[in-house]
Amino acid sequence: MHAYLGAIWKCRFFWLSLVKMDLRSRYRGSLLGLCWSLLHPIAMTTILCVVFRFAFHQALDTYAPLVFTGLTFWGFISASVIQGCNCFFQGESYIRQFPAPMAIYPLRNVLGAAFHFGIGMMLAIVIGFVYGPDVREIYGNPSATRFHQLLSLPSLLPTCLLLLMLGWSLSILFGLLSVRFRDTRHLTEIALQGMFYLTPVMYTIDTFKNQQRLTRLLHCNPLVPFLDLIREPILFGRVPSLATYALSAAVVSVSVLLAMAALRIEERRLIFHL
Amino acid sequence: MARIELEQVNLTFHVRQERGVRLKDFILKRLFMPSRNPGMKVHALRDINLRLERGDRLGIIGHNGAGKSTILKLLAGIYQPSSGRRLVEGRISSLFDIALGFEGEANGWENISFRSYLQGETPTSVRAKKQAIAEFSELGEFLNMPVRFYSAGMMVRLAFSIATAIEPEILLVDEVLSVGDLAFQNKARERMREMMAKAHLMVVVSHDLDAMPQMCNRAVWMDHGQVRAMGPCAEVVAAYRASVEGHALAA
Repeated sequence: MHAYLGAIWKCRFFWLSLVKMDLRSRYRGSLLGLCWSLLHPIAMTTILCVVFRFAFHQALDTYAPLVFTGLTFWGFISASVIQGCNCFFQGESYIRQFPAPMAIYPLRNVLGAAFHFGIGMMLAIVIGFVYGPDVREIYGNPSATRFHQLLSLPSLLPTCLLLLMLGWSLSILFGLLSVRFRDTRHLTEIALQGMFYLTPVMYTIDTFKNQQRLTRLLHCNPLVPFLDLIREPILFGRVPSLATYALSAAVVSVSVLLAMAALRIEERRLIFHL
Repeated sequence: MARIELEQVNLTFHVRQERGVRLKDFILKRLFMPSRNPGMKVHALRDINLRLERGDRLGIIGHNGAGKSTILKLLAGIYQPSSGRRLVEGRISSLFDIALGFEGEANGWENISFRSYLQGETPTSVRAKKQAIAEFSELGEFLNMPVRFYSAGMMVRLAFSIATAIEPEILLVDEVLSVGDLAFQNKARERMREMMAKAHLMVVVSHDLDAMPQMCNRAVWMDHGQVRAMGPCAEVVAAYRASVEGHALAA
């Protein structure tokens, strides 16, 4: 384990420079530059806001930040999973030549996705700040100002770390699965589509508080605590509860342990299945 | 420092007629019917014992499919033995499949960095070597171009220049002496000779039986994944030759 992490660290220049190149080639030749990362979530947010405003008379100032944080999060998860399916095929020519640890190939995708997620988060913070709720009400303090809301932002740091581990382990799992089973990517795309609607990305669980069965089902979704971790500080200026952190950490641990077990079995045999 | 030991090494792997299984089939077929895509077991290496010390120059000979390249990949750490023990001490440089492993979108300079990092270099050490690599490859202006526009020959030139820019302790070579055009081939051969002289330990797979005794002091003759003969290079090569010619006469 220790030696394995050491080997990953040893070739850090390799995967870091590949991540850098991926990002650069994505931005190359586009005037939008960094905004490119934001284009998809912004466009989706706009569409959803318009639709929900006319269909359900949703108020924009609370809905826009909710959807934007949700979509940014979802973008990271789906990128980790979908690109993860390709990661070992993408790295095949390196795998055939150099005995580097396999976990670096998924890492390349996840770090790229994490970069986009980070930029999305920054915009989310700005949106949350501008459209934020009445902080005086939340804190029960009449002299509280908008800036008090920012004090809860450092709670996002452990969240990002948890998400990185989650994305990396999911990428490894789906990568290994698609080497073994060629239709993994196809099936995963369908499953993700369903998962998107079962995850409170464009709604909150409270939206369905009258439907107990649905609410119970939604609470079983392992991605829910992560959304809370992101939304609490950004939308409401609150530090998430320890229970939410614990729940997310538990989900991450399961995912990481599964990934480690899968790598342990597959690491040596992977090359024969490529 | 440089040392290689293989003890009772076996390598088997399963291959399938179709590339990979489908999850759908896996679940359905497992439950209801036998697979239509049966696996085949390949016993690529059998009970290999090998001990090389510093200064050894080992040549591996044998007919196609005898397991020569497989041994090399096993030594490089790309294949892991299914059973037995593999011990390799020393910094390895491998020269096989070198035309693989380029990022098509990146230019020549960037690819020099990527591959060097994978060989264990750091940004500082790469910066020092980059110029020499570029000069040796003679690609000049083309290095500013994305690698996906390179011809096969240019790719090999670049790959060879990068792979031979480090000073390895253990050198693993798989018949790469035919790189690029004639002028570059001579240059490459010269560079190889230098590297072979400098490397503490070398294993080379080749079909060039005439050149072998000049390069190597020991040789292994592989046959169907097994060691048929091992010993001083000239003797093993002679035995292999006799066997091949014997076959030719019999036929």
